Amino acid sequence: MKLLIQAVFIAALLLMAVPSAHGQDAEYSRKGADTCIACHGDAEIMTLFHTKHGAPSNSQGPFGDGQLQCEACHGPGGAHAGRVRRGQERPSVIRFVADSATPVEEQNGMCLACHQNDVGFSWHTGAHPGDEIGCADCHDLHASADAVRQTSTQPDVCFTCHQMQRSETRKAFSHPIFEGKMDCMGCHNMHGDNAATQLARLNVNDTCQQCHAEKRGPYLWEHAPVSEDCGLCHAPHGSNHPGMLTKRAPLLCQSCHSQSGHPSIPQDAGGLAGGSPSQFLLGQSCTNCHSQVHGSNHPSGSRLMR
Amino acid sequence: MQRKLFSSLIVGAALAVTAQAQTVDTSEWVCEFCPFEDGHRAHFEAGATNVSEDSAYFGDATGYDEDGAYANVDGSGMYTGANTRLRWLAEDLGLDSRVIELDGRLPGSLDFNLGYRELPRRQFNTTATIFDRSGSDTLSLPSGWANAGTTSGMTQLASSLVPLNIERDRSIFDLGAGFVASDRWRFSMDYRRQDQDGLKITGGSSFAQASLLPMPFDYVTDEIDIAVRYDVDNGFIAVGWYLSDFSNDNSALTWEQPYSFDPLIGNDTFAIAQAPDNQFQQVSLQAGYSFTEQKTVVSLSAAIGDIEQDASMLPYTVTSSVPTSPLPRTSLNGSVDTTNFALAVTSRVIDKGRIKFSYRFDERDNNTAQDVWNRVIVDTFASTALETNIPYSFERSSLSLSADYDLLDTVRVSAGYDRKDIDRDFQEVAEQTEDIGWGRLRWQPTSALELDVRGGASERDIDSYNEVFAASIGQNPLLRKYNLAYRYREFGDLSMSFSSDKYSVTLNALYADDSYTDSELGITSGEELRVAADFNWTIAENASLYVTAGLEDMESKQSGSEAFAAPDWSATHDDDFTTVGVGFRIRNLAEKVDLQMDYLRSDGASEIIVDTALGGPSEFPELESVLDYLRFRLSYRQSERLELTLNLLYQRFKAEDWALAGVRPATIPVVLSLGAEPYSPDVYAIGIGFRYRVGAHTKD
Repeated sequence: MKLLIQAVFIAALLLMAVPSAHGQDAEYSRKGADTCIACHGDAEIMTLFHTKHGAPSNSQGPFGDGQLQCEACHGPGGAHAGRVRRGQERPSVIRFVADSATPVEEQNGMCLACHQNDVGFSWHTGAHPGDEIGCADCHDLHASADAVRQTSTQPDVCFTCHQMQRSETRKAFSHPIFEGKMDCMGCHNMHGDNAATQLARLNVNDTCQQCHAEKRGPYLWEHAPVSEDCGLCHAPHGSNHPGMLTKRAPLLCQSCHSQSGHPSIPQDAGGLAGGSPSQFLLGQSCTNCHSQVHGSNHPSGSRLMR
Repeated sequence: MQRKLFSSLIVGAALAVTAQAQTVDTSEWVCEFCPFEDGHRAHFEAGATNVSEDSAYFGDATGYDEDGAYANVDGSGMYTGANTRLRWLAEDLGLDSRVIELDGRLPGSLDFNLGYRELPRRQFNTTATIFDRSGSDTLSLPSGWANAGTTSGMTQLASSLVPLNIERDRSIFDLGAGFVASDRWRFSMDYRRQDQDGLKITGGSSFAQASLLPMPFDYVTDEIDIAVRYDVDNGFIAVGWYLSDFSNDNSALTWEQPYSFDPLIGNDTFAIAQAPDNQFQQVSLQAGYSFTEQKTVVSLSAAIGDIEQDASMLPYTVTSSVPTSPLPRTSLNGSVDTTNFALAVTSRVIDKGRIKFSYRFDERDNNTAQDVWNRVIVDTFASTALETNIPYSFERSSLSLSADYDLLDTVRVSAGYDRKDIDRDFQEVAEQTEDIGWGRLRWQPTSALELDVRGGASERDIDSYNEVFAASIGQNPLLRKYNLAYRYREFGDLSMSFSSDKYSVTLNALYADDSYTDSELGITSGEELRVAADFNWTIAENASLYVTAGLEDMESKQSGSEAFAAPDWSATHDDDFTTVGVGFRIRNLAEKVDLQMDYLRSDGASEIIVDTALGGPSEFPELESVLDYLRFRLSYRQSERLELTLNLLYQRFKAEDWALAGVRPATIPVVLSLGAEPYSPDVYAIGIGFRYRVGAHTKD
């Protein structure tokens, strides 16, 4: 049954593409945007004309010559703008709001009609459409400045759903996201990518090394987890510990290093400044000496001390 | 879900046909009420801000690191011409965090973007050093310095300390262009240069002592990303080339030994290597296709890359009296081949369900030649052991299969299976697999209410833990490195949302429980709970209020062996974090005033207990970081174009960190530190300014 409805709907849409004998499609409004603005001339809506969607110079845009203006996105508005009998509900156009009667996929279809090539096909295989995220959940098309396209305001848009990541960015040590100096898109491709967690590049390290290329090496003396996955030691959204480490040294290092001697010695609170200050605990802990934890290119650097 | 996906595609295709065909008679659509813009529209904001005190923490990323007055200018604007649109943005021009962006479309379907951004990182302003940094890569001792075996014996230490902030600056310049050559062909090019220089803290060790050194560095990273794309009906194919070229002006850091040294050896100067220049190139292929009839979308990415590093090496030692053999080679000639492949397919197999399949492959093949090296231990004496460099390589693959089914109109059930494989060279575990199974239930009784629950388990297994190899690098054979160890994980997450015209509430929670049952030493268990919630209230058309909250509790346990045998100590590491935010927005109060207030409190606490067989449990003082942050903004519209603004920013950050607290340069007998203190700023900033709008001409 649903297939039939869908087929009828598609057929109807395709029929819209065919001009009537009179060259006039009755489904659309008579005067285009003028019809719409007569009722919907609120300031928040009219800011569309501050954007490229509202610019006639954008020939491919809704207000380009011969384009469908408001109805390019909101669909045919003839019935919506027409007369309705008393007590009859006014037919709706496609609305891009949370309580819209228009299904999300249909909303997105309107955007993808023009932006499929911009968004890419991995959008369809990514996580967002699977969770019924609409384009308009992130993009504000009528705003002078779309918040999700600006570094300082983008994270707040993402955090609407990704609340745990927001919490993490408020930790004492994090990327400068809270300060508005870095956005989510620096590391993630929201429109979907084939990388895990929609990373900007195809794996974690390639993504981190866009900005931290000094860690890339290859070094003469490599530290195995570094070349494999930065996330083995770092929490990229934020941490209670300096360097966004997942836990405090020396325990972090002792998770993997058990050599005889100081790597295996437990460091207790007696080694703090008020007791017998320990070089294994205070200051930079293990990296007081093994400072080249990301690798060393020094011929004598096998212990990551040079 | 898949049904919706294909509806999107089909609706999109149909509407594209509609739009392209331009079959609607729009000759009377004159749009006389449309305020089309012509020319410039912009706003400028200028003001002055007074910051109450010096603070590295407050100034980190913002540029407000010193007390006093700051003048600042912001602005944004748009130019609309016949065939041209330009958008510009300027932020924080008076600060070290300034941003300038320009983008737009030029005649001929050429899109471009140009940007410049500065990012100040301010780590410590409580640090001091004895070293003279007259040379960019050499740290010298002050004249009259008296070397000593421990820091407490350094008689000239106190008088030689010179305050030195640990800070660095990053600037990013980027230029991008995109050109739509035809309906089928698109070209894009992006260039980005990042300059980063400043000081890092690095540890420099001698035989039994170390000094924390202010290491100057000067990095440049150039990136170029070029792509050509060809669109076909329902699909595309694109090829790209990416280059990332890193260079460091400093190849080494040399410092004079502040501790006592053996005059016969003459090891009075040491050197460590800095990050070497390297270059990464990658050729990529991307493709996507929608098989509309089969209701299937395929997306593919593939890339091969090459990392090269051939920077000249330092000698084994800068101590000339230590006999050394010749270096096997004078530069690494390091080379790593990378291969990435990813394929994702979604398909609606039945009316009420869909399946999704994805496969990823990731290889790092380090081809760097191995050689035998005869290191000099901390520039003091030659090691008797010969060592071979280890070029780590791995292959990693991930297969994922999931299915959704609409059980009812309001209920969707999903299930999935993931399989991850990692093969590694030169490590304790050669082959590792992980099987993950999960199920999900989503219930949406109304458009306003949604409940989503997911749960599952994973088992990570290994072929064997090579204890012989572990022993060859000196590891206790009972240790299981946590990323190589057997692990059983149970996990679950829940999300719930409710919204109405006035209110919305959302809640997310996540739980994971890890058991490393085969690990006698190393991490033995882990547990994680995260909860986050939001409440939004639209009080009136011009007023809203929000509350956000987050809670995290992450605990892990590990064991060690001081006796290099069975476990004789254990440790618990417990990270807690809570955050609460509250704020409101009021617009057009008396048609003149906008108010905005945001308050945030974040409290991070970490508890560490180390329990030894001899000493019993030893609890560390809590590591704590408490942030109170208040931001208030008031703007008063003097006229249609002019607004007056008042900004108030208050930040109190209190850190309790035993790694730094009370650790003065001479506190640790064998580590000469920089005396960095835990952050404890209590800063407010008050700013006044104005905002002025210009332009906004409309076409007649």
